[in-house]
Amino acid sequence: MNRQSFRSPLARALGLGSAKRGSRHWLAERVTAIALVPLTVWFVASIIARAGSDYTAFVSWLSTPFASVGMILLLIALFHHTALGLQVVIEDYVHSGARFAAVIAIQLCCYGLAVVGVIAILHIAFGG
Amino acid sequence: MDAKPPPLGKKAPRPRPLSPNIQIYRPQLTSVLSIANRATGVLLSLAAIGLVIWISAAAAGPEPYAVIQRALVSWAGQVVLFGVTFSFFLHLCGGIRHLVWDTVHGFELRSIYISGWSVVAASAVLTATAWAAGLFVAGSR
Amino acid sequence: MIINSSDQVSRFTWLKRFPIPHNFDVMPDSRIRPGRTWPAPAGATKTKAFDIYRYDPDSGDNPRLDRFHVDLNDCGPMVLDALIWIKNKVDSTLTFRRSCREGVCGSCSMNMDGTNWLACTRFISDMATPATIYPLANMRIIKDLVPDQTHIFAQYAVIEPWLRSKTPEPEKERLQSVEERSRIDGYYECILCFCCTSGCPSHWWNGDRFLGPAVLLQAWRWLNDSRDEAKEERLDNLEDPFRLYRCHTILNCTRTCPKGLNPGKAIAEIKKMIIERES
Repeated sequence: MNRQSFRSPLARALGLGSAKRGSRHWLAERVTAIALVPLTVWFVASIIARAGSDYTAFVSWLSTPFASVGMILLLIALFHHTALGLQVVIEDYVHSGARFAAVIAIQLCCYGLAVVGVIAILHIAFGG
Repeated sequence: MDAKPPPLGKKAPRPRPLSPNIQIYRPQLTSVLSIANRATGVLLSLAAIGLVIWISAAAAGPEPYAVIQRALVSWAGQVVLFGVTFSFFLHLCGGIRHLVWDTVHGFELRSIYISGWSVVAASAVLTATAWAAGLFVAGSR
Repeated sequence: MIINSSDQVSRFTWLKRFPIPHNFDVMPDSRIRPGRTWPAPAGATKTKAFDIYRYDPDSGDNPRLDRFHVDLNDCGPMVLDALIWIKNKVDSTLTFRRSCREGVCGSCSMNMDGTNWLACTRFISDMATPATIYPLANMRIIKDLVPDQTHIFAQYAVIEPWLRSKTPEPEKERLQSVEERSRIDGYYECILCFCCTSGCPSHWWNGDRFLGPAVLLQAWRWLNDSRDEAKEERLDNLEDPFRLYRCHTILNCTRTCPKGLNPGKAIAEIKKMIIERES
């Protein structure tokens, strides 16, 4: 035997026990995914329909109520989905103490970027 | 793990080696599409930053917007945009496949492989269609 | 291209392994060194090369990859037969687990040509040339093809794989209707060979906390048993970002199961049951 610890195998497998949570995170990732299917398809189709158009045409489209509401919903769902997804990626691969810091950084960046995007849309919609 | 000093006069026991995992495990449609879904997701996160920069530029006025637009129509910009489009469609189709699985449907191996190849084919076709449509619209302006 | 059942050997090959360096993420003690080549015995008529992972804990050396030449005219049709032939005729120190030699006991699970399967139910004729044989992926190795399964069996104990009841014991056995019994079909047949857990990338990266497909399939087998009365505790025990939700539905498990079971589906059922409990 080459023991490096005298903890029993069961104690090791039990670890700190069950967190009794995780389903909310999982469900939120699915809910945002469902929201993103129509929102992203609409966004991509709208961009294709405006390919090669100039600044005025683009801004006048973005300032219509339908487009600005759609874009704001898209940004909220997109960055929520991104924050949840990247958190899982970090938890999978980062095993050092940097894990917690990285998860916090990802969440701050995502929600910060969502706010920046939403403010920019509102600025365009209500004509700055 | 708690390190235990070796008994006097004895060499520290050698830890058991870990058998190889990703170094030897055969890539299969299951694992390849899973890692592709993850890689495209990370790439799309970067694209999302680009989206915010683009909208912010539009909000800032015609000049900043023109700078972004010039970068996008450049040769490198178009390559990146093409990659992002393909990533988007792969992540979209792969995501829908995952949503179907979450309802506990399509878990027979045959269904897993058929849906997997369908995701690959659909994302290729959708990317080609989107670019053809975009180039047509831009050209007819 | 389309795989219909897990016993179908992949013919379509894009890559034999992921395009990463051979020692990517491998600790120095686990790196595989080139081994020796054992010549075919004199008089061998039809030989096939086998590259086999070797590790001798007493030598103090790193693991190595030895090449053997098996005389197919002198050997049974399965990979396990080839291993037994090598042990009898070439190198008696070659170490591996085996018992039933008919896919029932789950002892001889190992990684053959890059995927996990039972050596006793894999035909030599389905193997590449040279055939490559490693122990189950991502396990601490005791010797040669024998992995230390202490941790995965401890993980099995975590889900308490026995009937938990709260009602007083009936005079005779606890009854189940035919329909209720049929609901655990496809889940009770698991032989705990751990081909799936060893083939799961999520278990590679987080096996200390993620329970892995084999154990979660068993968790569903008990959750789904009409006689069991501890669903609440079982679901509480499973609902954890790592224990259960590290499963990202990669489905290497379902692809590799030598019994044709579906761990991926069982895990999806558990996730669905947890959501149903909440809404």
